[in-house]
Amino acid sequence: MRAVWVPLVVVSLLGLASWGAAGPATCPLGVPVMRLGVQGAASGAHADYGRQIEMGAQLAIEEINAAGGILGCRLEMRFMDEELRPATAVRNARFLVTEWGAHFLYGVDSSGSAMALGPVLRELDRVHFFTHAATHRLTEELVAQQGIRQIVRVSAPVYQDAVAAWLFRDMRNVRRWATIGADYEYGYAAWALFREQMRRFRPDVQFVGAAWAPFLTQDFSSHIAAVMATNPDGIFATPWAGEAVTLLRQALLQGVFDRVQVWFQAMGGSVDVLEGIAQEVREGRFRGKLYATARYIHNWPNTEQNRSFVSRFAKRWNRMPNYSAETTYSAVYITKAAVERARSLRTDRVVDALRGLRIETPAGVRVFRAEDQQFVYAVPAGKVVADPRYPIPVLGELKVFDPREYWRWPPFQPLDLSK
Amino acid sequence: MEVLAYQGLIGLSSAMYLWLISAGLTIIFGVLGVLNFAHGSLFMLGGYLAYTLYGLVGLPFSVSVLGSMAAVALLGAAMERGFLRPLYGLDPSYQLLLTFGFVLLLDDAVKLVWGGVFRIPPIPRWLDGAVVVFGRPFPLYNVFLIAVGLVVGLGLWGLFDRTWWGRSVRATAADREMAAALGIPTPRVFSSVFMLGSALAALGGALGTPVRPVAPGIGAAMIVQAFIITVIGGLGNLRGAFAGSLLVGVLSSYGTLWFPEFELFFVFAIMAVVLLVRPQGLFAS
Repeated sequence: MRAVWVPLVVVSLLGLASWGAAGPATCPLGVPVMRLGVQGAASGAHADYGRQIEMGAQLAIEEINAAGGILGCRLEMRFMDEELRPATAVRNARFLVTEWGAHFLYGVDSSGSAMALGPVLRELDRVHFFTHAATHRLTEELVAQQGIRQIVRVSAPVYQDAVAAWLFRDMRNVRRWATIGADYEYGYAAWALFREQMRRFRPDVQFVGAAWAPFLTQDFSSHIAAVMATNPDGIFATPWAGEAVTLLRQALLQGVFDRVQVWFQAMGGSVDVLEGIAQEVREGRFRGKLYATARYIHNWPNTEQNRSFVSRFAKRWNRMPNYSAETTYSAVYITKAAVERARSLRTDRVVDALRGLRIETPAGVRVFRAEDQQFVYAVPAGKVVADPRYPIPVLGELKVFDPREYWRWPPFQPLDLSK
Repeated sequence: MEVLAYQGLIGLSSAMYLWLISAGLTIIFGVLGVLNFAHGSLFMLGGYLAYTLYGLVGLPFSVSVLGSMAAVALLGAAMERGFLRPLYGLDPSYQLLLTFGFVLLLDDAVKLVWGGVFRIPPIPRWLDGAVVVFGRPFPLYNVFLIAVGLVVGLGLWGLFDRTWWGRSVRATAADREMAAALGIPTPRVFSSVFMLGSALAALGGALGTPVRPVAPGIGAAMIVQAFIITVIGGLGNLRGAFAGSLLVGVLSSYGTLWFPEFELFFVFAIMAVVLLVRPQGLFAS
């Protein structure tokens, strides 16, 4: 009997000893590795945004790890498809935090997903850096009013679309405006902000027509025809991603650019849209009337940091970075700055460390606004043009405006979202 | 008046596009009794194949469209013979589950092959232009859609009403056992009908590629509209599908013009009104 037990005990002890020796080592922050959970739309007409979110995060992580990590801690990432569905985004976030062990969260593309995630983040107690979802309510309601401190937004919200009012205020021949809007909150908010600002500058301007296209619309021809029946001088359009390409292609077929003076495609400065209309831009089909903005534009600002970022991104992924790539890339570096300040992964300490943060990013200087935990920065608007220095069209004749002029500032008044 | 006429014409082209997709769905349901959830995925696959043949390989657009139809028809035959056929005698819920499984499978398959990002080729030169109608440029592409829709409608009418194959199909749809007893090879009829329906789905997807990007999941949005049209027209009735397409396409177009605030709900309102008046649809089977 003794002969049986002795080897068993010896083997068990040896096993325990070797487990202890090979147990997970911890970095100075007390974890084996810093885990970043990332989400974005990875399927459908809007899929490039999720892919770009993933590429931006991956590039930042590779760079930071190559330079020794954050306070000696290596970073690890897991990307999940949010499918532009709030329920999926919430399920993913719960999985990333409770099962996979994410210390920070990044993404998402859909405003609906962002609003659904907000209250859950308080429960999960993880900082979520929002890098695309644009609804003003995320920061105005969930942060400034309800005090959900786990929400931090790095990307420009829907306020950015109001830049169109500044862009066109001096074009006296553009008096009659119509919208082909996304038939959900983003479209209503963007149109409301634009009208509000334009009315301030130009009392002579008229808003003559509106057509609203539901999410995932594939045929915009009736919307274009309805709006053109009102003889607008300018069109303000908010469908984005593949839908923006569809809309512009179909507008060309109806000869819209022979009849209007300007067309503002709100997120038309995004790489996927510019790729989708590259041939038409090269052929001059838009007659120099297509204007756009985005939440970052790869050919601005003309700084060493941005040029280097674009070059490294293009070398790594063989694509130009769109705004969701830049915002996520910058969000990872913002995480680094905050964690290095806080010297902790605790949510309250990291959020405290963001206060007063002013950080150089590829998009320019970002300044943390504590009231709504929104990073403020300027993004220009301009004309969509071909540029031989780039493989795809860029925004040219850029105009940069101070975000203090056209962003909303606390204390926030409710925004009229009526159509 | 010209505004109304132009908007109606735009609605007509939308209707013809919807007709191409709902026709295939209707034929398959009318003959096989299968509500094919995967119809939207076959539509998507047709788009991807046409994009590949036309946009990447460089074949003429018309050849690419025909090629994608042929390929999807073959896939349809394989689906019918390999998977659906064993389920014909069982509860219809098995068919629904199976075709829904194909939706998931095909959506993931196109992601694996073409990636998650949307694709759009240039518009063929011969479709890139406009004719002036009611004082406004009307796209040649939309004229082409209307023509194709009408040709397909006439072709289907001729096929079902004027050919032996069509009579076999109608006989099989009316009474499978009797048709089989009369010597009609009903399994072959089923396969050929499923192939035809699949080819029509691919035709819709392929024709859309120059102006509608193809992306994983685009079939899901389209299948909802196709289902609404088949319900409005009367499940399984081809004339009903044509009338339903016209109703949805043209009225939706006017809805966009007159009631833009109700865009989201308009198609469903049309369906609700039709079903309130005629619960069996416009043309009952």
